Amino acid sequence: MSGPSGPSRRRQGWRRWVNGTNLAALLVALFVALPLYWLVITSFKSTPEVGTAHLFPHSPTGANYSNAFSQYHFATYIENSVVVAVITTVLVLGLGTFAGYALGRLPVRGKTGVMIVLLMISLFPTVALAAPLYLLMRDIGWLNSYQGLILAYTALTLPFAIWILRNYFLSIPKEMEEVAWVDGASPVRTVVSVILPQALPGLFTAGVFTFVAAWTEFLIALTLNNSDRYRTIPVGIALFGGQYVTPYGTIFAASTVAILPIAILVLIFRRAVVSGLTAGAVKG
Amino acid sequence: MTATEVDAAAPGSGRGRSSRAPRGGRGAAGKVMRRRQARLGWLFASPALLVVAVVMIFPIVFSVIMSLSNVDVTASGFHLSGTTGANYSTVFNAPRWRHALYFTLVYTVCTVIVEMVLGTLVALVLERLKGGRGWMMALLLLPWAMITVISAELWGYIYNGVYGVLNAALHPLVGHDVNVLGTSLEATVAMAVADIWKTTPFVAIIVLAGLVMLPSDVIEAARIDGANAWTIFWRVRLPLLRPVLAIAVMFRILQAFGLFDLPFVLTNGGPGTSTESLAVLGWRVMFNDLKFGPGAAVATSTTALVLIGCLIFLRVFRSQVDEGEAGI
Repeated sequence: MSGPSGPSRRRQGWRRWVNGTNLAALLVALFVALPLYWLVITSFKSTPEVGTAHLFPHSPTGANYSNAFSQYHFATYIENSVVVAVITTVLVLGLGTFAGYALGRLPVRGKTGVMIVLLMISLFPTVALAAPLYLLMRDIGWLNSYQGLILAYTALTLPFAIWILRNYFLSIPKEMEEVAWVDGASPVRTVVSVILPQALPGLFTAGVFTFVAAWTEFLIALTLNNSDRYRTIPVGIALFGGQYVTPYGTIFAASTVAILPIAILVLIFRRAVVSGLTAGAVKG
Repeated sequence: MTATEVDAAAPGSGRGRSSRAPRGGRGAAGKVMRRRQARLGWLFASPALLVVAVVMIFPIVFSVIMSLSNVDVTASGFHLSGTTGANYSTVFNAPRWRHALYFTLVYTVCTVIVEMVLGTLVALVLERLKGGRGWMMALLLLPWAMITVISAELWGYIYNGVYGVLNAALHPLVGHDVNVLGTSLEATVAMAVADIWKTTPFVAIIVLAGLVMLPSDVIEAARIDGANAWTIFWRVRLPLLRPVLAIAVMFRILQAFGLFDLPFVLTNGGPGTSTESLAVLGWRVMFNDLKFGPGAAVATSTTALVLIGCLIFLRVFRSQVDEGEAGI
């Protein structure tokens, strides 16, 4: 607010900032941030220094980063994660938009039941899907492929995306859509050029959630894609190194690279993410 | 914010209100229009529902069938034969499964309680925060968006008994190396801390949204009546928050019950099998031991437990949840 201009003002300002609330907030911030700091700082430590608890690297090095890409196939894992997460997000938004519109706006009989079933299966433990999906994919030869994982992720993330999108569609005034109908616009056209632009925040939210889910998922990726060529980032990082030595420096360099895009995405779309979290919680 | 908009729009959504019919179309024409729209609705919804059905519902059903059959997996394919309860009796009689069940239940209850309490406290702090709330929210979102495998590796490094930073801090105090992942109780607590670090922010954001939406006039009235902040919190705000808290609890319980990534990477279920969750046990039985029948029994019974838990929860907290789910 008003900047500190005189000595007395400054003391007042100082007093205003040191209070219980801010100290508690600082503690929370430290608890959240310190492990992240440790992750990033370790990625710049040399191998002998990784074995120490130095609070900052005494001889910073980028060797871990080049190791992740040269000694391990981290570039491949990134490529796999990007392909799977991006295509999944596009598919989910495409399918989810029409489904969310139908279940939110059109007089579909039994849509309440459909929504509840979607909610319930989106909460099932993923491990229940692992074996049948593995056998199914093995039968059709989709183990260690992009399409197998993309199909699995699309189905896993669609229920929640449909929920978010449906809630947004419900919040859009009906008049414009009715005008479009009366003017004789085709249904698809109504959705694409009248509804969609207004539902853009909802699309961002659903998109970010889908992308984050696909980017971070581990169990199904480990089950379906365990060959080095098709590992995603979480599987690649979990299986880094041998049985006895854990190359933490390399792991954290790779991790920093893996977290960066998602951190940027989440920070840019902060509002969308928060509204999605709260919509999920407040609307069940 | 959005949720209030949604609330406002929700009451009419019950069954595609008749006001949907376009102006000119009354009577028969309106009915035809509605029928056409209903057909269109199914057309729009069916691709997504089909994908979900094929990739989620079919496998779940298949998993149930598998858990009730003798499964032979060979290099060329798999073969189901007979109907049997043997898989379930094998699983339910195994001490390892009982321990996994016990561990998962205790872990779920403890972490969810701690996360709810801490999350609510953090939300209260954030609500009072005058400046920098946006930055705090951004920071809190980072653990939520973190790849769990990475946070497991990170905490594994922090807990390392030789060169971990926790050991570096504790060693001078106790005079010997501290390996918290070495004993089962400490490993469980250590894992819970990693979980709390990642998930408390999620709870805090949800509770904060609930706090912000509380009707300010009620709180104002309590204040005018002379209630202090403490009383207002326990008597006014907490009861009003219950629908939000109830749903956050349900989300967390379901997530915690499917616990997999953290024990798989951080402790590898160890020491021994002491931190082996139901999901890790099920996965290992299927993919390490290649026993798909018993593995499916573990997975199916876990799913059943989750469902039962959900139903009990919904029953106990019906009034609270109903309010939250009015939009369905």
